[in-house]
Amino acid sequence: MKIVNLKVNGVGKAFIAKPETTLLLALREQLGLTGAKRGCAQGACGSCTVLLDGEPVVSCLVPAVTVDGSDVATVEGLADGDKLSHVQQAFLDGFATQCGFCTPGMIMSAEALLDRNPNPTRDEVAEAISGNVCRCTGYEPIISAVLDAAERARL
Amino acid sequence: MLTEVHVPEDVPAAVSLVAAGATIIGGGTSLMPRLNDYASPPTELVSLRRAGLAGVHVDGDTVTIGAMTTLAQIEHDPRLALLHPVVRSIASVPVRTLATVGGNLFARQPHGDLTVALVALNARATLAGRSESELPLTEAGLVTAITAKIPKKGAFRYLKAARRRYNSASLVTVAATIHDESGEVTIALGGVSDRVVRAHAAEAVLSGRPLTEETVHAAAEAELAHLTPADDAYASAWYRKRVFPVHLRRALLGR
Amino acid sequence: MPRVNPIDTDYFKDERKSADFTVIGKTVQRSDALGHVTGRTEFFEDRSFPDLAHVKIHRSAHHHARIDSVDCSEALRVPGVLRVITHADVPSNWYVVLRLIGIEPNDEPVLAEDRVLYKGEPIVAVVADSEAAALEGARRVKVTYTELPAVLDVEEALAEGAPVIKQAGTNYFVYEGHHARRLRFGDVEQGFAQADHVFEWRYSSAPIEHAPTETTGCIVVPQSSGRLLIHSNTQAAFFTLDNTALILDRPFTDLQVKGGTVGGGFGGKVDVMVEPLACIAAMLTNRPVKFVYTREEEMQVSSPRAAERIYIKDGVMNDGRIVARKVMLYVDAGAYSRHSPYGTTKACAHLPGPYTIPNVYADCHCVYTNRTPSSAMRGFGVTIADFALESQMDRLARALDIDPLQFRLINAYRDGDMKAHRKVAEGTALIEVIQRAAALVGHELPDEFRVLSSSTPREA
Repeated sequence: MKIVNLKVNGVGKAFIAKPETTLLLALREQLGLTGAKRGCAQGACGSCTVLLDGEPVVSCLVPAVTVDGSDVATVEGLADGDKLSHVQQAFLDGFATQCGFCTPGMIMSAEALLDRNPNPTRDEVAEAISGNVCRCTGYEPIISAVLDAAERARL
Repeated sequence: MLTEVHVPEDVPAAVSLVAAGATIIGGGTSLMPRLNDYASPPTELVSLRRAGLAGVHVDGDTVTIGAMTTLAQIEHDPRLALLHPVVRSIASVPVRTLATVGGNLFARQPHGDLTVALVALNARATLAGRSESELPLTEAGLVTAITAKIPKKGAFRYLKAARRRYNSASLVTVAATIHDESGEVTIALGGVSDRVVRAHAAEAVLSGRPLTEETVHAAAEAELAHLTPADDAYASAWYRKRVFPVHLRRALLGR
Repeated sequence: MPRVNPIDTDYFKDERKSADFTVIGKTVQRSDALGHVTGRTEFFEDRSFPDLAHVKIHRSAHHHARIDSVDCSEALRVPGVLRVITHADVPSNWYVVLRLIGIEPNDEPVLAEDRVLYKGEPIVAVVADSEAAALEGARRVKVTYTELPAVLDVEEALAEGAPVIKQAGTNYFVYEGHHARRLRFGDVEQGFAQADHVFEWRYSSAPIEHAPTETTGCIVVPQSSGRLLIHSNTQAAFFTLDNTALILDRPFTDLQVKGGTVGGGFGGKVDVMVEPLACIAAMLTNRPVKFVYTREEEMQVSSPRAAERIYIKDGVMNDGRIVARKVMLYVDAGAYSRHSPYGTTKACAHLPGPYTIPNVYADCHCVYTNRTPSSAMRGFGVTIADFALESQMDRLARALDIDPLQFRLINAYRDGDMKAHRKVAEGTALIEVIQRAAALVGHELPDEFRVLSSSTPREA
């Protein structure tokens, strides 16, 4: 067991990690941040997507002890009080959620895309969320919402 | 079951942990899914994340890529534009952020498309404590970097047939380098065997001959006998054998 | 969100009252969406409980086998394993989820007793301090089997001499004494005799997994009152409460189900699979217990949409009228009933499709095989039947060289028509839907088809 330090949504956190503690389990079970979900524990569904040092990762595949000292951003850190991020607001307004289980991971993938590419094409959005499985919506409203978020950011 | 995860700060420390029986983990994208179901025997891991093996070095037309360089880093490195279509054909964005060049050399088929490309580029791997090795690797080891020569523009070809456009394992992957001066073609294939293969039979047919419908067709026919594609949920062996000649043609002739 | 097409209020004007439909056409925010986008929506697994124990299952390695012995001693020696649960620990081991609406017999054990009917059938549940210990314990349970011949195809299951896999004595569900849910209307043989042409085609579908992103699961928390609080992602809280209570042999009031937040269901979370065992584990250990499927379990053992095989034989006239339709439909229920007897009835109720056909004959079989039990999934019974029926309609139109939409309009049911189930059709609107769809895609219909109306009675 090792003590792991992370900066999570800008706040320093320390926890004790067992060898099998993944970043996802640390966030969910030790830091109480349950926005990232366990859908497959295989890196295939993307429900656990968070930003690790600014880049999107499937947190279920990351042993926590290997990322000691890193910066982690989760869906819980996006809103500023009641003010949602552009992506969150666009998902809300564009009915890009249904059951909501994929939504946190989907939003983090979208945030990562827009951080790197503020003017994505529809196709680039599709590529950016290709690791996030949504079984409800059929993806179209999600892609539209990400494009809408990019538009809002430009205003 | 995971009993320990070591995170050594340099290669010698990693090497001694491997010598003591620990399993190397790069990005973890193929190892962790298996470990997450606790189905493994007691396993000690040595993560190379902090061993100083990430980074890209370009010297003239020679590129050296550290083993822990991620596919995402390649994707965003303008000096490696040649490999951008390759890495973008692999998995998804949040997986590419983790997956590494070194790990890809050991990916189980039908994964490992970057290795297909590297084989076609005649890339060589540097292994800790050993001399350089050709790809594909035939034995395990701690890879520190791969080195390749960037061919001149247009000489490298890459085409992957998959079930979906993004985030889909290979049905058939073809990578090739066309050496105009020597009249040789280096061809590597994924999805057609339990490992990445160098298409020697096809290369022999094409050696010294122009690339035409006829010669490429003959090359595909010659190679088919050597292919042992998987029959799996992605595609039947029959289908992969049908797709291979078409994709070899499209890769080499662009049509 | 903009509408693709504004609501067309021209149709059925006299049936619209101005006070109705006040929400249709307006944007109304989902009540749960804010929680979804902020990550605050609480799914069952987002709750944490001190001292949480975990359940994992040892499952059948065979499609069909007699169980000769079960040895849990190795499992009990795994550090962290608290209990093993076998059928002997289940107060009322046999159930069928639909017994609440009078479906019988109870044909499925919570945990297998002397036999297994499908690969992946639960035999022993292991309760442990950690998920890893529960999995290791489940892995160490030793079961010896005598393999039995397996039936993996619906028609083979019904063939003469097929091994009977069900203890009730038939490989099909018995509907009020009959081998199938039957539909009889007119005289189908006479219809075929008078038809200009008779066509018969076969349709089949594979099982389809819902693959919800959140796997099936629950957490059961024993309360100081002695009641059990069940945090579940079930789609059917009351099926869950009632069936669990019956299996536990406890009053319904002993259980409280907290649910309603489901990470994708699509019908895959209406079977009652995890709650009874989690409750038993919680009672035996007096600890909160989580039982959640791994992704692999979700794919392998959660019930999929049933595979179906459908034969449709139609008698048609040169002018496009269908005068007789005979359907032999087989639903592959897999090893146990679950919702399939109901799904098969739905399939039968859906025949012969939204068309008025004077002679109809259908046998809809709910068939047991040694495959993973199938169950509910979005429109089960209806969806695959529609695939078959509408494929059949296209093929018939082609065979008769009639435009496929005109062919449907000729046969479309109308208000006042007597349906094969002897119910009078009302509110049909199929004709108007086809007309509108044709207009939207620029498919020209001749005047005689454009003036048709579902509220105009068919000429005798």
